[in-house]
Amino acid sequence: MSVWNYVVTAHKPTNVTHSCVGNFTSPQELNLITAKCTRIEIHLLTPQGLQPMLDVPIYGRIATLELFRPHGEAQDFLFIATERYKFCVLQWDVEASELITRAMGDVSDRIGRPTDNAQIGIIDPDCRLIGLHLYDGLFKVIPFDNKGQLKEAFNIRLEELQVLDIKFLYGCAKPTIVVLYQDNKDARHVKTYEVALKDKDFVEGPWSQNNLDNGADLLIPVPPPLCGVLIIGEETIVYCSANAFKAIPIRPAITKAYGRVDADGSRYLLGDHAGLLNLLVITHEKEKVTGLKIELLGETSIPSTISYLDNAFVFIGSSFGDSQLIKLNLQPDAKGSYVEVLERYVNLGPIVDFCVVDLERQGQGQVVTCSGAYKDGSLRIVRNGIGINEQASVELQGIKGMWSLRSSTDDPFDTFLVVSFISETRVLAMNLEDELEETEIEGFYSQVQTLFCHYAVHNQLVQVTSSSVRLVSSTTRELRNEWNAPSGYSINVATANASQVLLATGGGNLVYLEIGDGVLTEVKHTQLEYEISCLDINPIGDNLNHSQLAAVGMWTDISVRIFSLPDLNLVTKEHLGGEIIPRSVLLCSFEGISYLLCALGDGHLLNFQLNLMSGELTDRKKVSLGTQPITLRTFSSKNATHVFAASDRPTVIYSSNKKLLYSNVNLKEVSHMCPFNSAAFPDSLAIAKEGELTIGTIDEIQKLHIRSIPLGEHARRICHQEQSRTFAICSLKHQTSAEESETHFVRLLDDQTFEFLSAYQLDPFEYGCSLLSCSFSDDSNVYYCVGTAYVLPEENEPTKGRILVFSIEDGKLQLITEKETKGAVYSLNAFNGKLLAAINQKIQLYKWMLRDDGSRELQSECGHHGHILALYVQTRGDFIVVGDLMKSISLLIYKHEEGAIEERARDYNANWMSAVEILDDDIYIGSENNYNLFTVRKNSEGATDEERSRLEVIGEYHLGEFVNRFRHGSLVMRLPDSDVGQIPTVIFGTINGVIGVIASLPHDQYLFLEKLQTNLRKVIKGVGGLSHEQWRSFNNEKRTADAKNFLDGDLIESFLDLSRVRMDEISKAMSVSVEELCKRVEELTRLH
Amino acid sequence: MWREIANREAGKTRPNSFKSRVTSGLSSDLQLSNHKDIVSPHRGSVNSLQVDLTEGRYLLSGAADASTAVFDVQRATEYEGGGAIAKHRHVFAIDKQHRAAHKFAVSTAIWYPIDTGLFITGSYDHYIKVWDTNSTQVVMNFKMPGKVYRAAMSPLATSHMLIAAGTEDVQVRLCDIASGAFSHTLSGHRDGVMTVEWSTSSEWVLVTGGCDGAIRFWDIRRAGCFRVLDQSRTQLGRRLPVLRRSMTNKKKTVTGNGAKQQLALGRTPGKGSVKLRMHPGLLSTQDRATAHYGAVTGSRVTEDGMYLLSAGSDSRLRLWDIESGCNTLVNFETARLQTSKPIQMATSGDSRLAFVPCMTAVKAFDLWSGETSMVLRGHYENVNCCWFSSQDQELYTGGNDRQILVWSSSKPHEDVSVAEDGDNWSD
Repeated sequence: MSVWNYVVTAHKPTNVTHSCVGNFTSPQELNLITAKCTRIEIHLLTPQGLQPMLDVPIYGRIATLELFRPHGEAQDFLFIATERYKFCVLQWDVEASELITRAMGDVSDRIGRPTDNAQIGIIDPDCRLIGLHLYDGLFKVIPFDNKGQLKEAFNIRLEELQVLDIKFLYGCAKPTIVVLYQDNKDARHVKTYEVALKDKDFVEGPWSQNNLDNGADLLIPVPPPLCGVLIIGEETIVYCSANAFKAIPIRPAITKAYGRVDADGSRYLLGDHAGLLNLLVITHEKEKVTGLKIELLGETSIPSTISYLDNAFVFIGSSFGDSQLIKLNLQPDAKGSYVEVLERYVNLGPIVDFCVVDLERQGQGQVVTCSGAYKDGSLRIVRNGIGINEQASVELQGIKGMWSLRSSTDDPFDTFLVVSFISETRVLAMNLEDELEETEIEGFYSQVQTLFCHYAVHNQLVQVTSSSVRLVSSTTRELRNEWNAPSGYSINVATANASQVLLATGGGNLVYLEIGDGVLTEVKHTQLEYEISCLDINPIGDNLNHSQLAAVGMWTDISVRIFSLPDLNLVTKEHLGGEIIPRSVLLCSFEGISYLLCALGDGHLLNFQLNLMSGELTDRKKVSLGTQPITLRTFSSKNATHVFAASDRPTVIYSSNKKLLYSNVNLKEVSHMCPFNSAAFPDSLAIAKEGELTIGTIDEIQKLHIRSIPLGEHARRICHQEQSRTFAICSLKHQTSAEESETHFVRLLDDQTFEFLSAYQLDPFEYGCSLLSCSFSDDSNVYYCVGTAYVLPEENEPTKGRILVFSIEDGKLQLITEKETKGAVYSLNAFNGKLLAAINQKIQLYKWMLRDDGSRELQSECGHHGHILALYVQTRGDFIVVGDLMKSISLLIYKHEEGAIEERARDYNANWMSAVEILDDDIYIGSENNYNLFTVRKNSEGATDEERSRLEVIGEYHLGEFVNRFRHGSLVMRLPDSDVGQIPTVIFGTINGVIGVIASLPHDQYLFLEKLQTNLRKVIKGVGGLSHEQWRSFNNEKRTADAKNFLDGDLIESFLDLSRVRMDEISKAMSVSVEELCKRVEELTRLH
Repeated sequence: MWREIANREAGKTRPNSFKSRVTSGLSSDLQLSNHKDIVSPHRGSVNSLQVDLTEGRYLLSGAADASTAVFDVQRATEYEGGGAIAKHRHVFAIDKQHRAAHKFAVSTAIWYPIDTGLFITGSYDHYIKVWDTNSTQVVMNFKMPGKVYRAAMSPLATSHMLIAAGTEDVQVRLCDIASGAFSHTLSGHRDGVMTVEWSTSSEWVLVTGGCDGAIRFWDIRRAGCFRVLDQSRTQLGRRLPVLRRSMTNKKKTVTGNGAKQQLALGRTPGKGSVKLRMHPGLLSTQDRATAHYGAVTGSRVTEDGMYLLSAGSDSRLRLWDIESGCNTLVNFETARLQTSKPIQMATSGDSRLAFVPCMTAVKAFDLWSGETSMVLRGHYENVNCCWFSSQDQELYTGGNDRQILVWSSSKPHEDVSVAEDGDNWSD
């Protein structure tokens, strides 16, 4: 890999951190707005459910998200503050359907220490000011003026240092906050302050309450007429106001989120850490609160945010499981639950660990993640591209073409499958047992190759062979009419639809026939100057049986032409350029836009937008799909039209948001494809590949496919073993009933079915920390090694752990040996046929020894001190790269002769690591606690000892995501002969459920893209006016530095979403053609 | 620790709170380090210690034998005890043999805050010298009017390169490295100035403490000092610090609440006087205010820029709220402080602990409660200076016994290595 890295998101964040409901897009429309850490999504509430309206990236990690309505406005504004102290106020522009920035600014301070708890951003219910708590001891106020504009911000000293929550109180003459805080004796209190805007200071508020529940950490302000505040503790809930105090005990629970049900604030939904949803009711007589009641409604995902939508519909946003749309029923179901889950929104976060495997052994990587936490823990199998689920297959060599036919025009299903070979044509049909059986259509000529086949109006079928066009009745299967090619000419290419036939014979003759009831009429004949290579008359207008236009691809001048039908007048001629002839053309329409697709013999595909009226071709784009000639076919799935491009790299072309998208099909080489929708195999495709004919259904057409294996427990580590075809995981099960207790397991799963095969329960207090599949020198067996730690409540740092070595016997985990360690085994690596373990401060190497009695044991060979905690270790050859808890990356080397491990070099920055990986011999990548990525380089040619002992930081980048793991590998099929096939990639997984790809680019490509990125920054403005450059700048407590040697692939790839005008703008600035830019960016999108 | 790491990777603990938990865990468990040794080349008491602010890698020490030394605290020169104990010898030392060395005791040695290419020493020989680190040559000399007690450079400054120097003289001088001349002379103190500190939130604000017991705040863009701290002006009138409030709260008396209300009301005139104090021409009564009885021997601005900790020859420590200039009245359980010399105090990275040399020991105080959380005993004679490295969570102390000691969270190193060796043979 190289120094020049390209970072791109393959799977966007899915962890819902915030949500709110309001009239954002129009005064009448109700919207749900969700924040997924670095993205916001706006949904519209419709009777059919949630309808997505907008999904945009924010150049920052969203710390607070609030809707508010300034005086005199008819709809809500959105306030967003980011963790790096930027804020913005957004408004919806109805006309342009986009976000406009009302205000933005920076609220960072030189003074004060950033708060350890979550940043708080709140808006006064009467819209007098915005309050922010970002630094311990400071409360920042951004006042509104009378016109709803923001004025200059100021700080007020808040002596409470450990603030847990702050909310504005309703119904106060002056803006009043209520502060929940902890003193340094760990007791919790609430206090109220009035904000005196004129004095820029606090005035003691109307009331306070001391010594609350020790677990209190959530305040819910109660709107008028009741006013006051609810204080949610772990064992009690308290209602507090100036003149009332009511408390009820609750079942011990940590409340994670709340949602207000009624506008008058008498009912609230509370979701706790076990995913139980409770309804809290404030009983009151007029404005006097008489008491509190709480009732269990049912179970949901563990919520991070709850938004009550309308009519008993509730959105549950989750960080630890899938987010849900639920309905609260009036009557409980059989299990006593009032909760009905209507929809689940996939969330991969937190990805604690993952592995890259190729289960189907096709060269296509899949990522298996440990996702979710607590009861919502699961394994997710993430795969790129579209899969074909094989239903049936027969061995058939040398297929030259395939078509499906119906037995009558109005039959919804296909009956026949016509398969053409070099010198014969066979017909397969579904028999009564729903089996595919060879049959005959008497009217078809079966001793020659079929060039084209189609069903036709009036219950007829059309067969085109090199000598004739035959019209056959589909009921009697007898020949009704035949059109013979003029003698001396043979038909080279042909196409047809239900009522038309277009064919070309040698010498550039183009013949147009129309199909009648039992008759074929030659309507028009024209001669072109060159030979014709391909044709299409797929109807794309309103008439599904008849096309107004014909597309024709030409030899010699390498052009594609559009002719009008029936008069065969040339409408448009487009030269393709180059020397590769078009091999397949297709007229099709996606989402109401007509396209002409034209596939070339070298695996490139051109697409044009086609004006149906004028026949004009515009917006030419070129992409590379494979290296072999492509055959294009349409098919439909889920009521949408898609195009299948059969080649050495089969691709499905589909459209989303009026943009063409290309998704690989997970098959190696497909020569022909046709849709085959029979009664037995509904919505299936017939696919000819490598000597067999397969019938199968196709996955949903989307880029990433995620399969979920719920575990009901939290998987922490995962590892795949090729030899035994198993996965091993370290997991823990929470017992929610009694005291917080956990049981830890090592589990074995089948790598196909994901069934639990075997489990090994660890000792009480013993945690599984690391997992490895490896083999040792002088031993051919493969083992699973598990590193553990005994985490005792009274110990700050584990002082005892174990390394367990398991073998797989009959699909069961068999403990071979164990070795006690003097600390937590944070990491295990296979190293020169030995086992390298990171145990607390030390790196320890173990030999695999055969004892006299034939049993095996681990024996320590050597070690290396000098780390604070060696958390993350990767090895390559004799080199060991260690990511320390707080001392960045160091490089160790194992010296064989001395049998010792020595430090070779280190990075002297104080980075708190979260993952490391070796990119190549000299370059290592690390991610750290402040969401940054950086690369360091070994400087073995340094002139001085000092230089050689220093790992030089060469790349820095703010990812904005907490990376838990890097792994070498790729999500896409790597074709050795394509450009992107040469680019090495690393995959990473983050807490927010992001799966990202880091690709090392060649230097010239990096420079080109860097220039493109610079230009894109000028054209694409961040939402809320946030700066991309600032967002991607490396940032920690000590310093901020511009990103270097990293590119933001998400920004670069958004080039493809730009309007033509803006593309032109960039093309001009870059002096590169739009087509070239598109092609280069589209190539990059194939990395993920 | 594993549980915290597991919570961080699962997103249950935010990375920043993980970090502060770990650091406060490490910094509250300091012991004489069993794995790191600094070999002091000094033959006089160590007066000043500072780790560079850019890399956190080089420790600069100044001693009474007129010597200064630099140590690499990240990379050991040699190991003992099977790699378990790292010995850090000096990278270089400048003693009296050096042509340009100071003649008398070095009282202060500080790094140039932007990089490690320069460092500055001040001495009882009336000179402040600016050194080139790589060549160990003096590049600039400032002749001061008396013994130099303390020099300081602003860690934030982007628009000036000023060394603030406190000397025997009543005037504080700002030496400009850019021009090689004095750029400012700050008058106000009535006696020598033992401590100078730059603000950690504004590059223009300087805090000086004099032998006259006064602590003065200067904005170097304006004439005169803009604030003199008064030990009798307390926060009682404002809102109280956390502990105090929780204590009064515990009484749970209605009067307590009422009294607070009154005080809150009575604050407005105080606000007016704040405005008055901002005026360059201070009222003479305020100008005479003192922060300590006797000399101010040490001062330290917390890293968040909100508080100032000061030590005086009255053996008192005071914590001041910088914004209001009020004495927070935190009662530190000090016993005796060295009075003859300036002392160099340190605070932990999260501003939770203050490390104060108390005769032969170093005490760690909880900054908010004033309670002693640790007493670090290891020096044989009085301790003069400490420096807390928030990068490594280590404390370095220097004393009259000529030693530089490293205090860190203990590691069970030796046990491990011994036990590991034993293991090889036992099974």
